[in-house]
Amino acid sequence: MGNGGDVQLAFGDGLSFRQWVDAYQDDLIFYTRQHALLSFYCILAAAVLAVLLAVLVYRSSRLSGLAINAVSVGFTLPSIALFGILIPVLGRNIGSVFPVVVLYSLLPALRNAIVGLQSVDPAMLDAARGMGMSRFRMLWQIELPLAWPVILAGLRVSAQLAVGIVAIGAIVYDVGLGQYAFSALANLGSANTANEALACVLFVAAIGIAFDLAFMLVRRFTTPRGLRV
Amino acid sequence: MTVQLERPLAQAATTALETGVRAERSFGWRDLITPAVCAILVAAEIWYISTRDLDAIESSQLEAAKLWDQTVQHIWISVAIAGMVLGVAIPLGVLVTRRRTRWIAPVVLLVGNVGQAAPTVGLLAIVGGFWLGFWAVALILGAYAMLAVLRNTIVGLQQVDPDVLDAARGMGMSPMAILFRVEFPLAVPVIGAGARTALVLAVATVPLGQNLGAGGLGATLFAGIGQNRDVTILAASLFIAVLAVLMDWAGAMVQRALTPKGIRTA
Amino acid sequence: MSDSTDVATTPKAAGSGSDAAGVPIVLDHVSKRYPGTKSAAVDDISMEIPAGEIVILVGPSGCGKTTTMRMINRLIEPTSGTITIDGEDVLSLDDVKLRREIGYVIQQIGLFPHLSIAQNVSLVPRMLKWKKQRTNDRVDEMLSLVGLEPAEYRHRYPRQLSGGQQQRVGVARALAADPPVMLMDEPFGAVDPINRARLQEEFLAVQDKLRKTIVFVTHDFDEAIKMGDRIAVLDQGSKIAQYATPEEILSSPANAFVEGFVGHGATLKRLQLERLETVDLRPVTDADSSAPRVPIKATLHDVLDEMIAKARESLVVVKDGKPIGSVALDDVLARVRELRAEAEAKEGA
Repeated sequence: MGNGGDVQLAFGDGLSFRQWVDAYQDDLIFYTRQHALLSFYCILAAAVLAVLLAVLVYRSSRLSGLAINAVSVGFTLPSIALFGILIPVLGRNIGSVFPVVVLYSLLPALRNAIVGLQSVDPAMLDAARGMGMSRFRMLWQIELPLAWPVILAGLRVSAQLAVGIVAIGAIVYDVGLGQYAFSALANLGSANTANEALACVLFVAAIGIAFDLAFMLVRRFTTPRGLRV
Repeated sequence: MTVQLERPLAQAATTALETGVRAERSFGWRDLITPAVCAILVAAEIWYISTRDLDAIESSQLEAAKLWDQTVQHIWISVAIAGMVLGVAIPLGVLVTRRRTRWIAPVVLLVGNVGQAAPTVGLLAIVGGFWLGFWAVALILGAYAMLAVLRNTIVGLQQVDPDVLDAARGMGMSPMAILFRVEFPLAVPVIGAGARTALVLAVATVPLGQNLGAGGLGATLFAGIGQNRDVTILAASLFIAVLAVLMDWAGAMVQRALTPKGIRTA
Repeated sequence: MSDSTDVATTPKAAGSGSDAAGVPIVLDHVSKRYPGTKSAAVDDISMEIPAGEIVILVGPSGCGKTTTMRMINRLIEPTSGTITIDGEDVLSLDDVKLRREIGYVIQQIGLFPHLSIAQNVSLVPRMLKWKKQRTNDRVDEMLSLVGLEPAEYRHRYPRQLSGGQQQRVGVARALAADPPVMLMDEPFGAVDPINRARLQEEFLAVQDKLRKTIVFVTHDFDEAIKMGDRIAVLDQGSKIAQYATPEEILSSPANAFVEGFVGHGATLKRLQLERLETVDLRPVTDADSSAPRVPIKATLHDVLDEMIAKARESLVVVKDGKPIGSVALDDVLARVRELRAEAEAKEGA
């Protein structure tokens, strides 16, 4: 069996987890970075889209409901199904992965952005208008800063979703850490299955936690002092 | 990693995350739109398949009887997960939010958040190393769904206005009575939305477990991907999607039926 | 600042030559109709608001007083009629720019919680592109003016302040850009009664120096009497039931509606506006040595109140702590008779 103290998960004559990681560390580092970067771009895109869309619709409850329902439809569809539907259309490349991840990340961010903007105290808006602030200035200096904590909370959820869905996106083509999981699934019970699966879980979870911590930092540094509890 | 936001923000965020912005109405013709659209899509897809010249591989992949069997299996697994979720996560959520056990809630929430960061795919792969079959898949996916619903149950119960609870206690209602007649009805929107999301996610991830031999439409999907048959991929994806939408729709109907009248338009 | 009860006598002179004097506002047949409603929210109101005065719009809930006020800075657009400020038609000006020239204080205060006190107060000056130094100096000046020590309060945040303090900041914020006109919508309504009285008195002291044109909405008639140079009692649709000085309204209410508003005790309320200084004092006698004392600056209402409280018909009047005379119940009643005669003379004239 393995050295004392090493995690031994393989069956038969596979490597121990530590040995396997050492052997493949270049690949692992590459795919982890790729996974994290792709997730990051998707979250960024979702954030920008969510805020833009929210700013356009938040003042009308009908439009807000419409926007959320439209995005919700995409949310209900299984990600794997969406990937599957796009493969024939856009091919087996990043073009089929990026839109799906962004769509999924969009919903929590959009919901929170809309609710955050809608829940600004109307007295504050009245005071702002009454003192001669233009609509744009009101949005930029008052409403968005006040809604920011709620928006950020939504983005935090989006980030977790994005990281998970990028993993599933490996079904489309060789991107990210999901590949290890799919490879393991395809070869269940063989030598390095467990190592691959474990690698996927651990590293993806690590990326997820890293994003969450990053959000905590962002929240600490961007929440206006007057709003902290 | 705390989920404790300020109260008004917590309410806004929670409501936003879980209930959506649309008001609930009582049942009407509009509710049949979703199943109707699904039926149309399925019909269209079937017609599309029939008009295409399928090669030998595709024909075997898209055999009607096989697809039907897989669909039924898929539904069964989803229902099993639903049962587990409702039967375990919700009571657990209740237990953890009782006055005496209140301190456990943040710990559970933390574990839940961390647990969600681990990808389903990976866990299935790990488990698949030593356990296969219907229950393997059902339990893993159920665990995920349970984490989500547990979190929502906790948050949903926590956000019931404490003044309301105070009034109920002051009136002399027993803790059980308060739970069933005050807390639950008020938390239904949040719990319900969470349960629906979790179920939809479960339906969505069953295909990932097809290598573990649980059945479901995932087999066809992966077969199509493996053999590069776009028609198969499209068909399987579409049916999975429709299934998810219908589950969500059914869940929404049930939730609306269970939402007390007083807060139906909340 | 709040120690000196240097409460001014009701200012009557309009627009003195000081730089801070306000400008006149004229409403000419102004109406506001909302589509689909039978009666107008504001039905053809016309009034002149003299420069440098506090004009109170008082009336029951829903009478349209707030709507009327909000048309002056175009938060609500009038359906017909014209409003001019210092001769300029407000509709001809850019609405956003117009509002920067008008101070606006609301009941819920509306301080921005994510900005410091200094940032809140400096908002309008910054929008008007004032230089940084001038803005900072102005912020400090305004904070002092409302009784908040600048060094202590500049960097604080709204949630650290009490309701009364927050509204002081609200007033400072409205005064920051030195607008000639101020609109105040039940500004002290959200403050507890004790602090409300203090805020009212301090505001009157500030206004005494600045002499801005102020339109002040309230549903509290006592506040109207206390704060107003002129009061417009409004009925439904903002119809003016009476537009006159507090003394006139108290002495000669125009109709049953106004009487109802004034309520019982009009005479007593009237005495709140009369100062002891207007009464001829009697010399102090030895019998008065044990009498309770009352300051020369007190109102006749206070004098009567003290007499009843102590069950004495005679009080000693003091100025700067020293007795300068005495006043008897008969003197107060004589003054009441004088006032009544004046009122009747006016009616007959």
